[in-house]
Amino acid sequence: MSDPSPAPSSWTEAERLTALRDYEILDTEPERAFDDIVDLVATLFDAPIAVVNLIDEGRQWFKAEKGLGVRETPLDTSFCAHAILEADRMVVPDATQDPRFVCNPLVTEAPGLRFYAGQLLKSAEGLPLGTLCVLDTEARPEGPTDIQMRALEVLAAQVMTQLNLRRALKQQQRSEAEFRAITDSLPQMVWATRPDGFHDYYNARWYEFTGTPPGSTDGEGWNDVFHPDDQQRAWALWRHSLETGDPYEIEYRLKRHDGVYCWTLGRATAVRDEAGRIVRWFGTCTDIDDLKKMDQAKELLSQELSHRIKNIFAVVSALVALSARQYPEAKPFAQALRTRINALARAHEFVRPHSDVSQPLMGNMTLHGFLAALFMPYTDDAGQPRVRISGDDAAFDDQAATSVALLFHELATNASKYGALSVSGGHVEVSTEQSESGTFRLAWRERGGPEVKGEPQTAGFGSSLATLSVEGQLAGKLSRNWNPDGLEVLIELPGTALSRRKAARTLTTP
Amino acid sequence: MPARILIVEDEALVAMELRFVLEDLGHEVVGTAADSAAAMKIAKETEVDLALVDIHLSDGPTGVMIGRELAVDHKVAVLFMTANPGMVRNGVAGAIGVLSKPTDERIVQDAVAYALDRRSGQVRNMAPPQLQLFEDGPRA
Repeated sequence: MSDPSPAPSSWTEAERLTALRDYEILDTEPERAFDDIVDLVATLFDAPIAVVNLIDEGRQWFKAEKGLGVRETPLDTSFCAHAILEADRMVVPDATQDPRFVCNPLVTEAPGLRFYAGQLLKSAEGLPLGTLCVLDTEARPEGPTDIQMRALEVLAAQVMTQLNLRRALKQQQRSEAEFRAITDSLPQMVWATRPDGFHDYYNARWYEFTGTPPGSTDGEGWNDVFHPDDQQRAWALWRHSLETGDPYEIEYRLKRHDGVYCWTLGRATAVRDEAGRIVRWFGTCTDIDDLKKMDQAKELLSQELSHRIKNIFAVVSALVALSARQYPEAKPFAQALRTRINALARAHEFVRPHSDVSQPLMGNMTLHGFLAALFMPYTDDAGQPRVRISGDDAAFDDQAATSVALLFHELATNASKYGALSVSGGHVEVSTEQSESGTFRLAWRERGGPEVKGEPQTAGFGSSLATLSVEGQLAGKLSRNWNPDGLEVLIELPGTALSRRKAARTLTTP
Repeated sequence: MPARILIVEDEALVAMELRFVLEDLGHEVVGTAADSAAAMKIAKETEVDLALVDIHLSDGPTGVMIGRELAVDHKVAVLFMTANPGMVRNGVAGAIGVLSKPTDERIVQDAVAYALDRRSGQVRNMAPPQLQLFEDGPRA
């Protein structure tokens, strides 16, 4: 080539060396794939020497060489060190005519090199790593043929393909090793399956926990380590996930190496390819036995506590009745007090933490369910409720329960003494409404009772209690309309009044 | 008609109040028991028509077992009275039903009248709505 000046480079030598070392190829054993290429190049050019040459720091190292008999030489006599400064290739027809090489000892002395043709080996990022080159001791003033240069270009690309594959394989091996190191250090058990659910990987923790011999739970063997009562459930859910791709999540008892079954949380998600097909399932098992035991203990404690509280209501109620026995004139008072206490006890029953066993026998754990239970004593001859509830249902918590219980207890008691529930044909309509502005409205409308002759002269304690419950406890508003056809009580509560602990979750009744 | 009634209840005040309510109605309370041993002893030694049985007693949640034995072995009419009626949600063989505590005089009166009717085979009184029957029966 006539122009000896190097092409301006867009890379630094440090970057180039980093890229070269990243391939982890230097000082490796000769490999057939590379040897075949240099043989072919030498044959194609009918030349004695061909090399896969990588330019390292201070030396050039040959992954494959023909006709040199050494695996590396110093860089100062290198032709290729010049070549890598060129854009893609370098051809020297006669080194004795080229100012860059005319003083090169390899030219002036043995072996007396004359002809050089080299094609750059470029990393995927475009950094020159070395060359695939061919050398002859005879000058070739006519230069190489187009076909020879084309072949050199194609074979150089093949060398790079080999190197890139090698690097990718190494990276994969490394990331696999990292994956194993990570999963083996996790406190959780980790597993993976093929898309059909065949288990082909477990981390060390799985074998440590279950005590099963490595490999023995591959395939479908995992199910045997589950508690017999949980096997079918886990199997069914796993089949469902495999069929639908839905995430798998289940709690089951897993047999520990010592034979003790421990509660475990099993989870898995599918890994999909670009086309959305499931290619792997990755799953974990987390030991939740301690948590489960704590939950059970907590559950037991809270049930016990709750039972005691209800018992206290019963004792207080009995105490009131017993105390009143000596004073017959106090009997109506005692009776009123008892029913109020009982309404509070019922409210507690509804909002306390429940297990399956302690669930109230009837109704939902919602406002409507609670009201239905509270109004249960008021039924007509056909057994139908005389207080009819309609509208939006809502969840309510323990803080609101006592106020709601007292409010409706007083309204119902009053109605049974003076209002619609005091005559056989009367009834009450209770409607609830979750308004869009967030407030919750309750309306109590008495129907078919005695004619109402205006507001009573004096408000009883019951009325005060109802007002206090709404306006004092629930921060709402209560208004009474003494309509001739029946009392109407309108209550407006702030949205958070019923469930102060969690945002009110409204359920719509059909 | 006066009946012989057994109260199985470990809260003395609740038991005493029940006794007064039942005696006001003209019934005879043959005994109050706070645990299963005392309850079964009374059942063996005395003729009992009706038992009002709490579930959580001083020796644990033995009420269910007591109720079943009284009903099945001693042919006693059994009403459970408990703060936790969910414990017998699936019913107890031979027993009539369950009242949720606390309750009041009126409900106890109605429930007792209904239970005694059931025992005598002729139902004149209806079950109060607060009484959860284990099997369907006529209701108030």
